[in-house]
Amino acid sequence: MNAIDPIHAEAQGIRLSGVTKSYDAKAVTIPPMDIEMRAGEFTVILGPSGCGKSTLLQMIAGLERVTGGTISIGGREVQDLEPKERGLAMVFQNYALYPHMTVAQNIGYSLRVAGIQRAERDARVKAVARMLGLADFLHRKPGQLSGGQRQRVAIGRAIIREPGVLLFDEPLSNLDAQLRQDMRLELAELHHRIGATSIFVTHDQVEAMTLADRILILNKGRVEQFDTPKTIYSRPASIFVAKFIGAPPMNILPVSGDGRALRFGNGKVFAASPLKGEFLLGIRPESIVLDRHGPIRAQLRHREDLGSHMILTAAFDLVDLRIALPFGSAEPQQSDLHLHFPRECLHLFDVEGRRIEADFHLEYAN
Amino acid sequence: MIENARSINIAASVILAIGIVYILGPLYLALTTASHSYQETLQNGLTWLPGDDLADNIRRLWVETRIPQQMANSLIVALGNAALTCVLSFLTAYALVWFRIRWASVVFALILATIMLPLDIRVITTYQVAANILSPVNALLDLTGLNSLISRFFGAPVQLELSILDTHIGLIVPLVAHGTGTFLFRQFFLTLPRDLFKAARMDGAGPLRFIWDILLPLSRTSVAALFVLTFLSGWTQYLWPLVGASTPEMQTAVVGLARLMPDNDGRMPDFPLMMAGAVIVSLIPLLMIALLQRFLVRGLVLTEK
Repeated sequence: MNAIDPIHAEAQGIRLSGVTKSYDAKAVTIPPMDIEMRAGEFTVILGPSGCGKSTLLQMIAGLERVTGGTISIGGREVQDLEPKERGLAMVFQNYALYPHMTVAQNIGYSLRVAGIQRAERDARVKAVARMLGLADFLHRKPGQLSGGQRQRVAIGRAIIREPGVLLFDEPLSNLDAQLRQDMRLELAELHHRIGATSIFVTHDQVEAMTLADRILILNKGRVEQFDTPKTIYSRPASIFVAKFIGAPPMNILPVSGDGRALRFGNGKVFAASPLKGEFLLGIRPESIVLDRHGPIRAQLRHREDLGSHMILTAAFDLVDLRIALPFGSAEPQQSDLHLHFPRECLHLFDVEGRRIEADFHLEYAN
Repeated sequence: MIENARSINIAASVILAIGIVYILGPLYLALTTASHSYQETLQNGLTWLPGDDLADNIRRLWVETRIPQQMANSLIVALGNAALTCVLSFLTAYALVWFRIRWASVVFALILATIMLPLDIRVITTYQVAANILSPVNALLDLTGLNSLISRFFGAPVQLELSILDTHIGLIVPLVAHGTGTFLFRQFFLTLPRDLFKAARMDGAGPLRFIWDILLPLSRTSVAALFVLTFLSGWTQYLWPLVGASTPEMQTAVVGLARLMPDNDGRMPDFPLMMAGAVIVSLIPLLMIALLQRFLVRGLVLTEK
């Protein structure tokens, strides 16, 4: 266990300046990107499949060349170095364990390549295995292990070299739901213990929200938002982020303002406001309040009881509103719903989908 | 669905039995013939009952013919063919599967095409190239006009000549250029996780270290299977050794066996001697199969972990 502790001091910050990637002249996979990850920070790169998140990770790892720009780790430019010279380690989605080697050989392989003496190698493998609860499996082959154990071997293989930076490429997506939850906790604890700068790629928003210090949300290679989970949830920078984080996703309603009032598409006045033009109004399903005196009326179409909460689907102004009710709240009796949108829970976006931060004065008519 | 009808079982058994008789019958006849003396065969023709001159026939084969030396040639050709094919196919498939190569699919298609052009079809051109392996260079010099330039200055064009006919190398190399092994390894490599290579790189292993530490141990059975197959095909080659080696000292055992048949007619061939030769020459591949057959099966199944 002690063998792993010193990493705390060696965690290194990562800076990407103008990094781009294109596989051929026509298509740009990642347009110029500038981001910085602080030393010891746990960053989750989140996005739908094909958004370039794995490419980004592999460029940091050195498995893909950058087309342009620089990557520096701990202040050292590394974009032209081989992976092993960058001082980082990686955990792969399908574990990528060497099937013909035992657990001990798998974990110790990088030390063997580095030419480290057998005695020291064995000692370090044992220390890592103990820390990951693999001490009893050192002589098994990967084929004889369960999914969770294989994942631990893959993690062990990554941390044995005590890298300053740890990369994870969707490491939990091959596990079943229960195991995924357990491993998530283990990963969080591991990060606390060894403190290496970590970058974790996933398309699972729960993993992102629970593990990350900051989440980097990618869409078609572009950074949509890079912020703490709390901010991303409470102040999404774009409609893409708003719909990507949160389940069910945020309701988006088109509204238009004439300088005096904001109206819904059906012409009904929503609130008095000096805003002019077309906008998109967002409200999370869990923020909508059922209120007998609420000004907004919708038709209940469907209800789904998930135990911990209930999701109502209601028709309103040509769109379906999703409303999440916590366990134990009063269920609506008739299909005519009266709703209230609390002012502090509203998000306003322009037609391009960017968040409008300006304080928008809304006054509800009574 | 499994049919359990008795009549089908019986019919299948009968067909199998007939097949076995067809295969084993001639082998048995070869063995019995090899155990009779030449005189007996002259009087009685081929017999189904074993005699007691097998040892004597083998002794005559060893002393009076070149079969022992030719078996050594066969061994060199078969082993060389097997080893070189394994190395070449392994490296080719490695490059095709694990690296991003422009035109990789075209290259692979060309390699596959060699399977449809066996040596038997291109034996004449192969002979021409083997007779002077530098002839392509000559052709290139002629074609580019370099040779006309050279002959203007030096009085004569360059004509390089190097023959590999009648050498072991010459017998082996034309057999090696063959796509089957590349195909086998490629299919096997494709069953391995793609991230294996990346993981090894992250662990600090270069491309050669990856072959040695990871890819080769994983493909052990595939290599063994290909080795056995190409050894057998090298051992049993007839046409190319017949053409490529003209002296008895260089000929392989299979060609030598055929040469035991007297050229001039009128004399009854020495069947016991020939059959003894056939039995002895077949022993080596039989031994090979007996020793390595589990690799043959496992290696060709491809999914073995």
